Amino acid sequence: MRTARLLAAAGFVLAGSWVAADMAMLVAGHAAWPWRWLMVGCGLLVAAGSLALWRHLSSRDRRAVEHHLDALVSLDLRQLGQPTALADLPPLPPSSPWRPLAERLRQALAALGEQLQESHQRRAALEARLRRASQEVARARAVLEAISDPVLAVDGAGQVAMANRAARQLLDLDPAATEQRPLQRLSRCQELIDLLIDSSQGTLPAGRSNEVQVADPSGTVRSYRVHCGPLEASTGEQPPAGPGRGGAVAVLRDIGREQELRKRNAEFVSAVSHEMKTPLAGIKAYVELLAEGEAEEEQTREEFLRVIDGQADRLQRLIDNLLCLARIEAGVVEVNKKNGSLNEVLEEGVRVVQPAADAKSIHLDVQLSPLYLGVHADRDMLLQAAINLLSNAIKYTPEGGRVTIRSRLADDHVVFEIEDTGVGLDPEDCRRIFDKFYRVQKNHRMASGTGLGLPLARHIVEDVHGGRLTVHSVPGQGSTFAVTLPKSHNPGT
Amino acid sequence: MAHRVLICDDEVHILRAAEFKLRRAGWEVEVAGDGQEAWEKIQSQPPDIVVTDYQMPRLDGIELIQRMRQHAPTRHVPVVMLTARGFEMSPEELTQRWRVGAVMSKPFSPRELLRQVEQLVGPVHSTSPGSSLPAAPDQPLERTVP
Repeated sequence: MRTARLLAAAGFVLAGSWVAADMAMLVAGHAAWPWRWLMVGCGLLVAAGSLALWRHLSSRDRRAVEHHLDALVSLDLRQLGQPTALADLPPLPPSSPWRPLAERLRQALAALGEQLQESHQRRAALEARLRRASQEVARARAVLEAISDPVLAVDGAGQVAMANRAARQLLDLDPAATEQRPLQRLSRCQELIDLLIDSSQGTLPAGRSNEVQVADPSGTVRSYRVHCGPLEASTGEQPPAGPGRGGAVAVLRDIGREQELRKRNAEFVSAVSHEMKTPLAGIKAYVELLAEGEAEEEQTREEFLRVIDGQADRLQRLIDNLLCLARIEAGVVEVNKKNGSLNEVLEEGVRVVQPAADAKSIHLDVQLSPLYLGVHADRDMLLQAAINLLSNAIKYTPEGGRVTIRSRLADDHVVFEIEDTGVGLDPEDCRRIFDKFYRVQKNHRMASGTGLGLPLARHIVEDVHGGRLTVHSVPGQGSTFAVTLPKSHNPGT
Repeated sequence: MAHRVLICDDEVHILRAAEFKLRRAGWEVEVAGDGQEAWEKIQSQPPDIVVTDYQMPRLDGIELIQRMRQHAPTRHVPVVMLTARGFEMSPEELTQRWRVGAVMSKPFSPRELLRQVEQLVGPVHSTSPGSSLPAAPDQPLERTVP
């Protein structure tokens, strides 16, 4: 290309010189006209040809540069960083004077492309981290919402910064307007507000728990154990200096159930203690009377020994009952199930409780089915359940009342019911009567008990035999306890 | 004339043991199976002393004492309380508020019961029944027995 340009330039110069020389010769008159004019014409043609060649070469070079630059600026900026992005550009003629400039431009664009690529990669990484962070926030919020304990956070300005669902329900907060609500405007929980303020001002020792009373929206006062801590500490940030600058978070745990359990356990211990001391008192008193020779007659001594023996048996039964319940609950009881007659078990139960019924002049009405009602059961345990239900009915039926026991066949099940004309139970008592240690307060004085008989009966019926024990009661009129058990088809073992 | 004691307990064998011990010591003994029966007997003929259980059907020991303290003829009759309960009411409260002469925990010793009863009323053969009663009605009668 360079040679072609030199040739064009040289041709133009030579032709120009040629024309100039011929014109000089013509003017000087040294040559004949036609020949000289022909030579001048040829020189002009060569000059014009050389000029045309030069212009052609220049034009082609310019087009190549334009094409190159067009392609360069048309490149996708996002692809500039890729190594092959600039390799496919239209080539520039080697002799092009634009080549160094185009090269610098290309290098500058390549560097820009690399930076852009790097920036894209950083952005993608940041976007991925942002997505993960958003997912973690959403997950943490879902976990927080799912926590059944109320969780409440306040910022340094005393505004509610966060409250989970349980906290919103307890404090009657509008879910849409929870955040940024002034703490002082929350009602029914002044103790909690004071704790949060103390905690956010750093005047409450970190991690300290306190018991507070909070009235729920229905007005029921509930007891909560509150764990308070600075909000910043939980996020790993350093709390700002100065009082009242940091926030606080409080986690409330409903301890009503715990308190109720403690109370019932104390009542149970008291009841067990009473139940144990009573036979023990008999044993000790009669042993003393015998030891001190107070019983002079043989008949009296025999009577005292019978009382001691009877009270020792009573103590034994109480301990057995406690152990039986504990074993069933712990799942370590040995169950010996055999096919047998339900009516036989019930008849024996009636024989056991008959003296207690007679002592209160209660009529025991036995209406057992004439059919054979087969059950696959541990006979001793089922008898224990029947005795407990019958004893309970006798205990809570006033003197002269009636306790009816009946059995029947019901499809694939056998059923026995114990109906009394006793004091009855209200719906709340019906719901809780099978809770261990629960005793109906208003009937407390009618009879002593440990609150274990009915829970034990239910364990035996439902957990050991896969049956169902239900109660239906009308306060003041009486109760009916119904036991449903799967029917066995084969008599005997 | 022998002193009269009313013993009130819903446990028959406890009644029988206490009755046996006091009767052998020369006391005239009346028994009741619950607080209501005891109250009816106390009203019809006030005894010299009452020995009662704490927890009983119909009317418990505290309500029985409450009625006795509000009833003029029995206001100053000494009371011994027998209880198997552990911590419902402190002996101090029983003695100071209800003027119970002695609180005895079950299991109890019949010999100790007799001693307490005699300490409050005097032995059967003493010449002045009720000589150990307090001078002022509201004053606690006696120390408690744990």
